[in-house]
Amino acid sequence: MSKKNSVSVTLEGVTKIYKNTKGRPDVVAVHESDFVVQPGDLVTLLGPSGCGKTTTLRMIAGFELPSTGRILIGQQDVTMLPPNARDTATVFQSYGLFPHLTVGENVAYGLKLRKIPHADSAKKVKEFLAMVGLADLYDRAPGRLSGGQQQRVALARSLIVEPSVLLLDEPLSNLDALLREQMRVEIRRIQKTFGITAVYVTHDRVEAMSLSDQVIVMKDGEIKQMGSPQEIYENPNSKFVAGFVGKVAFFPVELLEKTGNGWTCRLGQKTMTLNRFAADVEADKEAVIMARPESLRLVEPGAGSIAGTVHMNVYLGHSIETFVDTSYGEVLIQVDDPASKKIFPEGSQVSVDFVPERVRILRG
Amino acid sequence: MIKKRNLLKLLAAALLFAIGDIWVYTSLLDSFRSYYETNSMKEVTLFARTAPDDSVYYDDWIASLPGEIAGGRAMILSLNEDSEFVPAAGDSVAGAIWDAYKDSEDFRKGLESVYYLLPYKIPSGIPAAELARLVPEASADISPEGMQIYLLPIPDESGFDVTGAVLMAVPAGSAGQFEELLGGMCVLAWIIFVTLFAVGTLSRDPITGYAIIFLLAVSITFVAYPLFESFRLTFIDGGVFSLAIWQKTFSVEYLRPFWGSLLLGILTASISTLIGFAFAFLTERTGARGKKLIGSLATMPVISPPFSLTLSLILLFGNNGLITHQLLGIDFSIYGLGGLVLAQTIGMFPIAYMTLSSVLRSIDSTVEDAALDLQATRLRTFLTITLPLSLPGLLSSWLLVFTNSLADFANPLLLAGSYRVLSVEAYIEVTGRNNLGGGAALSLLLLLPTLTAFFAQRYWVNRKSVVTVTGKPSTRLAELATKPVRLGLQSFVWICLAFILALYGTIIAGCFVKNWGIDYTFTLANFGEALSRGYQSIISTVTLAAIATPIAGIIAMAASVIVVRRTFIGKRILEVLLMTPFAIPGTLLGISYVLAFNKPPLLLIGTAAIIVINYVIRELPVGLETGAANLRQIDPAIEEAAQDLGADSSKVFTSVVLPLIRPAFLTSMSYTFVRSMTAVSAVIFLISARWYHLTVQIYNFSENIRFGLASVLATVLIIIVMGAFCLMQFLVRDKGLTEKNIVR
Repeated sequence: MSKKNSVSVTLEGVTKIYKNTKGRPDVVAVHESDFVVQPGDLVTLLGPSGCGKTTTLRMIAGFELPSTGRILIGQQDVTMLPPNARDTATVFQSYGLFPHLTVGENVAYGLKLRKIPHADSAKKVKEFLAMVGLADLYDRAPGRLSGGQQQRVALARSLIVEPSVLLLDEPLSNLDALLREQMRVEIRRIQKTFGITAVYVTHDRVEAMSLSDQVIVMKDGEIKQMGSPQEIYENPNSKFVAGFVGKVAFFPVELLEKTGNGWTCRLGQKTMTLNRFAADVEADKEAVIMARPESLRLVEPGAGSIAGTVHMNVYLGHSIETFVDTSYGEVLIQVDDPASKKIFPEGSQVSVDFVPERVRILRG
Repeated sequence: MIKKRNLLKLLAAALLFAIGDIWVYTSLLDSFRSYYETNSMKEVTLFARTAPDDSVYYDDWIASLPGEIAGGRAMILSLNEDSEFVPAAGDSVAGAIWDAYKDSEDFRKGLESVYYLLPYKIPSGIPAAELARLVPEASADISPEGMQIYLLPIPDESGFDVTGAVLMAVPAGSAGQFEELLGGMCVLAWIIFVTLFAVGTLSRDPITGYAIIFLLAVSITFVAYPLFESFRLTFIDGGVFSLAIWQKTFSVEYLRPFWGSLLLGILTASISTLIGFAFAFLTERTGARGKKLIGSLATMPVISPPFSLTLSLILLFGNNGLITHQLLGIDFSIYGLGGLVLAQTIGMFPIAYMTLSSVLRSIDSTVEDAALDLQATRLRTFLTITLPLSLPGLLSSWLLVFTNSLADFANPLLLAGSYRVLSVEAYIEVTGRNNLGGGAALSLLLLLPTLTAFFAQRYWVNRKSVVTVTGKPSTRLAELATKPVRLGLQSFVWICLAFILALYGTIIAGCFVKNWGIDYTFTLANFGEALSRGYQSIISTVTLAAIATPIAGIIAMAASVIVVRRTFIGKRILEVLLMTPFAIPGTLLGISYVLAFNKPPLLLIGTAAIIVINYVIRELPVGLETGAANLRQIDPAIEEAAQDLGADSSKVFTSVVLPLIRPAFLTSMSYTFVRSMTAVSAVIFLISARWYHLTVQIYNFSENIRFGLASVLATVLIIIVMGAFCLMQFLVRDKGLTEKNIVR
């Protein structure tokens, strides 16, 4: 398990257009994608289905050709290279295990193509199977393994060829919740040990948050935002990103004037100055305040900024999620450590309040 | 997204190859021309030596020239007292040339040279237009390239003195054809090189590119080109465009066999579908015993060789048949429509049976249970549930049998008597009357109903089929027939099967009988004679089928990968071209091959290659379909994973795809082998004395009333085919051999 020099992955203005021949318009799957994956980083492509994240991954792997733009692995332009000539290895959503080969032969496949002597390869296969915890399944047929085991075999098969870039296409989507959590940790651990550059495609925000060094949020073929998980969660640049990476409430505000490094704005009757805002907010345009459930508080009626009625309390142990009907629609408030706090019963009048530092102004 | 560098590379390579190509072309042309020059000089000189001494024979000799040198004209000049050459006798064209040019510089030089016994060629020749002006009355038979003029000496006996001279004019054009061919070859070589090089440098996946080009080239050469040729030649009569062939084809004389084919098809399709449905219903919807046996016995006629069951029908019911003549003593003839329907039904009801049993199997019997549960009677359930659900299947099987019946050639050839069908008519037109165009037209006529039925079956009926949506299929079948109905069906089915078995028995019995119909004494002599006379054709039939089998298998699997997994421009065209041989009758394909490959540049008739190619092309569609169906079940990610790990297209194909679609591969190969062994309709046009086909020999023996010999060869063929079929069934079924043994 030697450590290879990590390389970067660069996309420059990559666009993918699917020509539709049967009279239907062309589909732009990926539009002008630009990003750099730093060496050794794990970057997640996050977005709803059909946003172009899998297409992006398949272009990096070489299964699809970009319509325009360049893809570089390290310093090498690989745009036109076929998949077999790229130093990438993909873990597929459906695993793509060879049903006619045993687990061991599956893992050894890439080594065999690289003409590694049989003895060395057998040793290495055992080593890698042990690493994913499947040492004793060497002679099994892949069809007889559970989903999680198949997933591990696929991972071992990709890793054993020591690729420069590991590509994972929703690798955990076919697993149950518990296994998914386990495998998530496993993948991250292995990726870090190898220091391998990885691109991970998912539509699951928890997966994206917990795995990545950087998250790229995509929508309709375009990159909406790229940043560390914390940045994406705390400082989203649009309502879409804010909503996609976590639970959020939006309150329409009127922007009055820019004061120093903040905006003075009016929410209902109250006027306040907020220092956190997205770059594209403007005075005459519609704007909203975005607030995460954990940064909202429930206070006695009249004491906070927004009046409402408690609609439902959901008890989760470590917290209570309170749904409050307000004039801006339903707002979710998370009350942590509920035993130590006052709980407003369902039906009671409340007021929602927040600390100005914990909210952010976005374009409406 | 094409790299500039690669494009430049391609341009440079194309240019370099073009230069080389032109160099080769010109040097070949030069050497050919000089060779041709000396050769023709020799030819005319030799001919001039034969000039008679006596002026009485001059005219005869001049008249004989065109027989030696096509289009040649000559004039004999004699030497007068002043040592000048004067015309003695000659052809009008040569005379005109002499009159026009005798005072020219070239002629002066030429005659001088001749005077010293050296043959001379006028360097420039005379263009056609000039000749037409000189001799307008002969302009029709002057070649467009003009004429070469030779002046040749006639020596005396001593050989040292000249007595006269010959002016000879020879058409210049005879070298043109070769030059054209050479030019064509060079251009073709350049195109091939550039195409391959372009794919190699510009494509990301050259192997697939080469495969696609190969498939396109094969399908254009061996499907599109021959069919186009046969179509084109039906419009040509005596070298010019004419509708005469089609006028004749649409005359009453030929519309009768057209109607005959249709009637036969309708009868056979209807009866076969009914019998097939009875069989299918019994095995899929009742609790009758021996279903497996019924299934395998009923499918036997499909793979039995042509002529074999027909032969035994003749042995039993023919003019001298065992049952009709010897046992019943009646005057009955199997030849004609009735016998044909019987023979075709026996041969083709298994198609209906197989189609319908899979249709019935796919209808979940829960729906019938539900109807019974709602207190419908069994008959009502059958009429309102089972029958409507299997209607698309019935239609589809009817159309399948119909196309098969129309394309059938073997049965009518032996049994039609005075009843006329198109396929046989086309064969007679070609072999009997040597009228290839007429034969092509007749088989194209046959294409009309065949294609209609084919497309109706494929694109209309198949889309109409009802898919029953279910959870788990019920394990126990509903007993849908009452006991008397079931017993009735059962006895009908077993009587049919007994009859088929009796037919096979008759063939075997036929091997041991001295002279069927006349002398039923036991003999083994048939074996010796049949095997010694048929040895050569047995060997060549098996050899050719064995060569075609793996080729067809590999190509079919590769083609299915390309069709299912790749997208490229012209894919639809390739698909259609590859599938076409499945829809067109064998007779048409055979005639097309004769028309297309009996002339340069692809002079293949008479070789084993054309027979093998014909097998491969004809059986490719079934392999392609099987492979494609199999491949669609396989997750593309498996192939992508292999490619991702570093395997190129050919490695992906051999290490992943082929093992996964092994069942389809084996099925397609066994199908090709069996069908090639039992081929007749196309191959009968392609066989030669060296490469004969067993089925044709069986036919010949039957036609010559050597039933014993025919029976022996038919038995041999049945054994080979059944053996191969069983072997393949065993290979496909035995998981241990098709799938790798994986330890649990």
